[in-house]
Amino acid sequence: MSEFLSIMEYAFFRNAMAAALLTSILAAMVGTYVVSRKIVFISGGITHASFGGIGMAYFFGLNPLLGAAVFAVLSATGIEWVSQKGKVREDSAIAILWSLGMALGIIFVFMTPGYTPNLMSFLFGSILSVGRVELYMLLAFCLLLGIFFWLYMRPVVHTAFDPEFSKIMGLHVGFFRYTMSVIIALAIVISIRSVGIILVLSLFTIPQITAMLFTRNFAKIIPLAALFGIIGSLLGLFSSYFFDIPSGAAIIFFLTLQFLLIKLLVVVRDYLDRNKN
Amino acid sequence: MSNPLVKLSGASTGYFSETVLRNVNFEIHARDFIGIIGPNGGGKTTLVKAILGILPLFKGKITFPQGKVRMGYLPQISAIDKSFPITVKELVGSGLKAKNPWFPQLTREQKKQVSNLISEAGLSSHAYKPIGELSGGQIQKAFLSRALINQPQLLILDEPNTFVDKGFEKELYQWLRVLNEKMAILLVSHDIGTITPLVKTIACVNVDLHYHPSNQLTEDLLKVYNCPVDIIAHGPVPHRVLKQHDL
Repeated sequence: MSEFLSIMEYAFFRNAMAAALLTSILAAMVGTYVVSRKIVFISGGITHASFGGIGMAYFFGLNPLLGAAVFAVLSATGIEWVSQKGKVREDSAIAILWSLGMALGIIFVFMTPGYTPNLMSFLFGSILSVGRVELYMLLAFCLLLGIFFWLYMRPVVHTAFDPEFSKIMGLHVGFFRYTMSVIIALAIVISIRSVGIILVLSLFTIPQITAMLFTRNFAKIIPLAALFGIIGSLLGLFSSYFFDIPSGAAIIFFLTLQFLLIKLLVVVRDYLDRNKN
Repeated sequence: MSNPLVKLSGASTGYFSETVLRNVNFEIHARDFIGIIGPNGGGKTTLVKAILGILPLFKGKITFPQGKVRMGYLPQISAIDKSFPITVKELVGSGLKAKNPWFPQLTREQKKQVSNLISEAGLSSHAYKPIGELSGGQIQKAFLSRALINQPQLLILDEPNTFVDKGFEKELYQWLRVLNEKMAILLVSHDIGTITPLVKTIACVNVDLHYHPSNQLTEDLLKVYNCPVDIIAHGPVPHRVLKQHDL
């Protein structure tokens, strides 16, 4: 217990806890949209395309997160454009962006002279090294997105569910879908620091499908997903520190374990309910 | 005859550069009950989308001589993602426009209107359920409620009799008869036998549109209209039918 309390004295660990908390809340809001609209694969494409931006930023000596954000936003809006026009097979377009992004990232990192610091932290995440500036960015993004969802959850949900009917109702379908694309892209990039490119997608899906074991109401999935995300992330974070394992992987492991345990409980409960009747 | 609600003149439309409907002249008047029939891919849904204004015309024009028309639309349920986390209440409410676009929430009166319609449709005990937990008939009722919540002047239904049991189908048709006293109805169906006794007139759509000012159709006429659909009525035993008959 004393060891548990003593790590709280470290600023880096308190930062990591705050990052886990905020990333979970952010991923809960955005991920619920991603899972509901069944665009997990699209989000995977955006995530991996952003690696191209990271590589390019290293090469030109810029902030890697900025490069990732530019690539992610461009690919997200590009995919939305393709899906609205419907002229190219959407899944093929995503696959191209996915691999092209990774390829560009590898080429640019390879061409960058000398050592590329933090590259591994972008691939696998490094929540224990999240700094104050990044925390403020996370907090600001969470607040802005919270306000946006509070005001516009209705049109966001309606345009996601039935774009055609929403158009008849006079909603600006394009505006809401493109805005959500940009939000997804930025949310992914901002979460990359915590869990890394390779694992970030699970933060946007596992807590949501866990929440969906209890409710199928969009507005109620978000707080539940946030709760499951926070529990999984904190468990991952502590075990990462105590067992000296990579934080991103530990977080995903606990999120999945949590999902499986709850799923098992739900199956057993349903089985008992059926037998009672 | 009074001015039509909707008038299509020389309208051609389709997807990308492919023309699906060609040179369509068509009018919908108040209290019409028009059955839209035709083969799959003949352009029935395309016609509906052009009328709803979500598919631009390549040529010709669409006018609303009586001014803006409130339309209610029931899409093909097969095109809907039934696993989407949306409740019946939310779904029906999505047929109402928020008064304030900057804070698009429903007012208390609008919420009451939603609850009333849900209870009229007999879905009160399902109001907070996600649509994925409803039966085929209940889903149709929920979507029909969404189409009706705005008190439309023109109700457009695209294949409402798919994925539903016969009991619900009968209930639906009785409902439509009552609604037709207040609004025009456009009913798209590939199942001409079932809809003939219900509708007042028929439009055959197969690239071209042929309007038939009665609900009696013969196989010869269908040939003339270039409208290859089977005239089979359902019942205890499916039977071919050419004239008015009871459901």
